[in-house]
Amino acid sequence: MSIILVENLRKYYGVNRGLEEASFGVDEGEIFGFIGPNGAGKTTLIRLLLGLIQPTSGIASIMDMEVRQSFHILNKDIGYLPGETFFFPEMKGIDVLRFYQKMHNVEEFRFLELVQILQLDVSKRVNEYSFGNRKKLGIIVAMLHRPKILILDEPTSGLDPLMQQIFLNLLLEEKRRGVTIFLSSHVLHEVEKVCDRIALVKNGTVSQVYTMADIHNDNLKKVILVPPAINFEQIGLKLSKLENNEAHYDFDGDVNVLIEFLAKHQFQNVKIRDASLEELFIDYYKEDIQQ
Amino acid sequence: MKIFSSHLFKLEFKRSFKGLMVWSLSLGLTMYLVVVLYPFVIDMYAAIPAEFYDIMNSFGGIPDTIMEYFATEGAMMLQIFGAIFAVMEGFQAINRDEREKIVEGLYVLPYKREVIFFTKFVRITVNVLIFSLINSLLSLIGFWTVSESVEGSLYLLFCVLNTAMYLVIAYLGFALACLLKPNQKSMISMMIPFPLYIISVVSLLTNNSILQKMKYLTPFTFANSVEILKTDFTFEWENLILFMILTALLLVLSLFRFKKREFMV
Repeated sequence: MSIILVENLRKYYGVNRGLEEASFGVDEGEIFGFIGPNGAGKTTLIRLLLGLIQPTSGIASIMDMEVRQSFHILNKDIGYLPGETFFFPEMKGIDVLRFYQKMHNVEEFRFLELVQILQLDVSKRVNEYSFGNRKKLGIIVAMLHRPKILILDEPTSGLDPLMQQIFLNLLLEEKRRGVTIFLSSHVLHEVEKVCDRIALVKNGTVSQVYTMADIHNDNLKKVILVPPAINFEQIGLKLSKLENNEAHYDFDGDVNVLIEFLAKHQFQNVKIRDASLEELFIDYYKEDIQQ
Repeated sequence: MKIFSSHLFKLEFKRSFKGLMVWSLSLGLTMYLVVVLYPFVIDMYAAIPAEFYDIMNSFGGIPDTIMEYFATEGAMMLQIFGAIFAVMEGFQAINRDEREKIVEGLYVLPYKREVIFFTKFVRITVNVLIFSLINSLLSLIGFWTVSESVEGSLYLLFCVLNTAMYLVIAYLGFALACLLKPNQKSMISMMIPFPLYIISVVSLLTNNSILQKMKYLTPFTFANSVEILKTDFTFEWENLILFMILTALLLVLSLFRFKKREFMV
């Protein structure tokens, strides 16, 4: 059952493309990653889901309500973290949190708990916060009313590695509570750690949706040979790069055939591993990166 | 149906309070100084050559009492600076949130856009009323300081009509911010008070009957200090009604635009 449903969604800003076409569903209780390079349309899609902008065509609905008409009702159940967090600059962190707590009509308990978890000094003014601390404040604001859905735009950018780990654990805890999480990210190893499914967006079009299991079960292997053997483009092996006295091949096929083939040759070292999400991402966007 | 948020109002009021006090006290103290200087400027008026009388008459003539002096010297300054404050209050109610990019956090709150619009409208009204009250009181204290008697009902009438003029200008500024695209420079709001003030001055100075009719195109007319405090007062009710209708129409249009207003960085 899709809690978030996007059908033929399209957004143009005058003649400029924001989002060309998106159709997918996000299931209740899952963590759904939304991945794409800068300018692909990720933030546009998120703003369409929140009713911050209106679609040129198509429909976005959340909990069976069309966002365009019901965003003020839906926002009770949505926690949103923008890519860049801005709050009232002259106010102290604690006053910002109290304002949002009162606007959502919830108790202080939850935000005090989050302040402790994320180790944020709320006695400082917002304009004294670093980018990372503003991000923490944004995370607390998004979560303080215990929403059913979290929509997070680049949530870990600006957080240090330790804080990123704390945040990811927080997300997994929310998932255990049954919260649906929709996040866009560039940090692919994080997406890989927490997401159940991912959608790839390219040139404004959401082209493919994968489960993480699909990605992990993918037959694509990375094969590294030392010393570098360069004439092995047989049985499905494809040379991808040569570096540091190593030959890197992609292999898509039966791993038994691969082992049988490699056993006929002498090597100093052979590594065979699954392709990571990052490698899948780079493969998928290779043309764009090369341009 | 809920159309007002007290929490948002408190936040908006708190954020605007410092600016409100700076404007109110600085203009109020200026008015106080203008008024208390009256005993010293009486002699200066006596020394003005007769050939300047025609020009002086266009701006209300040589004042005979402190109220007339206030009408010609203080109130005109009060009105133009007050109008600048009012238009900025109205315009920045929308524009400031967009410039500071905090609007994204406000629009995703579980409130209809009408609530945000109406709460801001109330906050603008309250700020303009406080601003006008402080200025009126400080001018009044000035009258008491120089121990001059004030015709209370006329002064009260001027204060009420002047406040109404500020409110009209503030709502026009608010409507302008809603009708323009997001992230405009706040100086754009000056396109409201300056032309309207110039029109009022031109319609006052000219002998041309067509140009004189232009007085109906500016809200400064129904709050004309010289008319109210110095000459025989005839209330320009057509002008007041015209601007009340115009402002109401623009506010309704603004609400529709605000409901569909898109967030842009």
